[in-house]
Amino acid sequence: MLVPGRWFDGLSSKPRPVLVGLRPGPGGPALAVHPLAQPATPPLELSHAQVGWPEAWNARRPPPRVVVDLRGHGSLEIDAVADWQAALAAAGGRASLAERMQTRWGVLLAVLAVSIVGLVLFYRYGTPWMAAQLTRHVPVAWEAAIADNALRQMDDGMLKPSKLPPERQAALRARFDALARQVPPALQRYPGYAPRLTLAFRSGLGANAFALPGGAIVMTDALAEEAAAHKLGDDALVGVLAHEIGHVVHRHTTRMVVEQGVLNVGLGLALGDVSGVVSTGSTLLTGLAYQRNHEREADCFAIALMAHGQLPTQPMADLLLAISRDSRKEGEAGKDAKEEKAEKAHGPLWSLLSSHPDTEARARELKQGHAPHCPRQP
Amino acid sequence: MYQPDPGGRSAPAFVQSAPQITAHPLRFTGSGGEYFRVWIVNVLLGIVTLGFYTPWARRRTAQYFYGHTMVADSPLEFTAPQGKMVKGFVMLVLLTLAYQIAVRTGQDTAVSLFLLGGALLAPLIWGSAMRFRLSATRWRGLRLQFTAGWGEVYKASWPVFAIALVWIVAVLGLQALAPEPLPSASGRKIPQVTAPMWALAALAVVLTVLCIIRLEYNYKSLLVLRGQVGVEPGRWKPVYMDFVKVWLATVGFFIVCVAVVGALLAALLGGSFALLASQSRQLGLWLFVLIVAGFFLLIALLFLISAPARAYREARMFHLMWSNIGVSHVARFKCKLRTRGYVLLRVKNLLLTVLTLGFYRPFARVSEYRMKVDSVTLHIKGSVDQLAGQLARQQQGGLGDALADAAGLDLIG
Repeated sequence: MLVPGRWFDGLSSKPRPVLVGLRPGPGGPALAVHPLAQPATPPLELSHAQVGWPEAWNARRPPPRVVVDLRGHGSLEIDAVADWQAALAAAGGRASLAERMQTRWGVLLAVLAVSIVGLVLFYRYGTPWMAAQLTRHVPVAWEAAIADNALRQMDDGMLKPSKLPPERQAALRARFDALARQVPPALQRYPGYAPRLTLAFRSGLGANAFALPGGAIVMTDALAEEAAAHKLGDDALVGVLAHEIGHVVHRHTTRMVVEQGVLNVGLGLALGDVSGVVSTGSTLLTGLAYQRNHEREADCFAIALMAHGQLPTQPMADLLLAISRDSRKEGEAGKDAKEEKAEKAHGPLWSLLSSHPDTEARARELKQGHAPHCPRQP
Repeated sequence: MYQPDPGGRSAPAFVQSAPQITAHPLRFTGSGGEYFRVWIVNVLLGIVTLGFYTPWARRRTAQYFYGHTMVADSPLEFTAPQGKMVKGFVMLVLLTLAYQIAVRTGQDTAVSLFLLGGALLAPLIWGSAMRFRLSATRWRGLRLQFTAGWGEVYKASWPVFAIALVWIVAVLGLQALAPEPLPSASGRKIPQVTAPMWALAALAVVLTVLCIIRLEYNYKSLLVLRGQVGVEPGRWKPVYMDFVKVWLATVGFFIVCVAVVGALLAALLGGSFALLASQSRQLGLWLFVLIVAGFFLLIALLFLISAPARAYREARMFHLMWSNIGVSHVARFKCKLRTRGYVLLRVKNLLLTVLTLGFYRPFARVSEYRMKVDSVTLHIKGSVDQLAGQLARQQQGGLGDALADAAGLDLIG
């Protein structure tokens, strides 16, 4: 079947009337251009790969005119779009996946379903796994350098020197060092990763403790005071420190950098075209989900390490509940009953927006000494 | 089925000494619904491939818009080789990754090298992107070309370096003008800002804006004058003051917008602010939260309020350009885009896009593009068949194109 067309050879804007023939060839339809003015000259023969094939954008409403890209040989304008498409199909032309999605709702919906499942699997399992693998290759010295820098910046900002008496600091540090020495090989997430675990004291933040990559752990005075105020022994503080050691051993900060990088690039590229709100929102929510997973992992580590050292986890759970109760009391001053009710009603939604898992569930699991999401200890 | 080209009818032999001028209104034959399908397919495939579909998506989008833009009844063609676009994109991703790693690990030297390199290479990147894009555009078999040499591109970029110079001088001047800081009650030294310092800063800002306008003028005129259709060079009439006038009118328009929205907001919120102020004593921590939320709201509001002014500038600039450019002695463009209609369309589209969380964007894009294309008429002296071409090589420069796209220089627009 021959389709009439106009051939522009790239040397002038004057068209030559031609007939275009399509026939099956290796890789797809091949194309032959027969000039009408010189019937004696041999046709221009082009293989499938030598032609840029125009996409059919709409199954029901073909465009008024299509242009076929003949690369160095110029271009071909065709008015009989329906004939062209029929000839293409007869010569064994196969539409690309994008083109089939474009013209058939069924294909579009199938890809939509696959992409939702794929997206969930990738961001739920793929990225954390990849981050864990990549983190293996990050040197400890690098982590320590970043941590030093971060701590120095915080010391210039919110943190102040500790006001705890030196003997109290020494006592807590002794417990910490004993705990750090006890970490059994079974709990090592990264074989051969042996950062120097150190404990530092600061004041200036609320009741808190945090771990920096490379082994530095910081505890605030307010945390020690909180434990003392509720008559909880040092075992509560040791439990919190075990949780922080968990962050170090699992290299959570480094993994978070990798995970956030994948999220920013992947979701930014994929959803950025929808809108900034959608792409930033999904990056934020997924990042928070990873962070909650890290907290759970660190809790599991703390439970296992405390069990290994035959220490109770109950005081740590009590401390956690006490801190959350106190901070809630502070916040309630400016909140009326209506707002609080709204917050309760939105329970599951709020939990998606939080960097830590639900405190009461955490405390319950710590108290019991096991949690459903923890791996079974050998 | 074959019809002779409509442009061909105007060149009978006896009028060759005084060729007739024919008007060809440009037409966009696509539709919002169709482009929505193009876009949603791109988004889905982007998600499945973790974003690596981007170069294919950009090519499909460009081909959709070009293929439905009829210039004298022949569609435009976007012929950029897919391989080069992919290569450019991969290089861009690697560069971004290297930069991100440098930022996140606090390697300040590497970061400043990146930024300095980016600033020095910006004209080169712009030039290479324009070469790539023009040579990828074809009409009736003729490729467009951007023939400016690197020297010309850097010469046209002088306002960039002038801006740097203005600020170096301004900072040095501010340091020289600043009086000794007075020690305050708490012992801290509070720097003082005097009237001459304000004047100097204002002067620097005005000079910077003038330089930015000059840069826009230089780049646009270079693009048209060194652009070619086949072998015919572009023609350019606007002068620098035309651009300055558009910018001044935009500033005026923006001030009017701010005043109107400000008055409306004051009337609406005046009551609630008073209520808030009376309760602020009990709010405590929540007041802080409110202030932070208000800050983000202000940024969003600024974005919304500036939207009409941005649309206004775009419409005026589009009108100025497309009423005053042409192709050698062969063709002239005339534009009758109505500024008011375009601003209203943009505001409507922005509201619908925000309301639909971005899903209206493809419809918005098509309606804006259609209004612009349909407003332009091409006047050709003689026949559309008379233009000569030359077999230009496809340009390299996929990276420049990808970088320009990342910087917000859209292919379609």
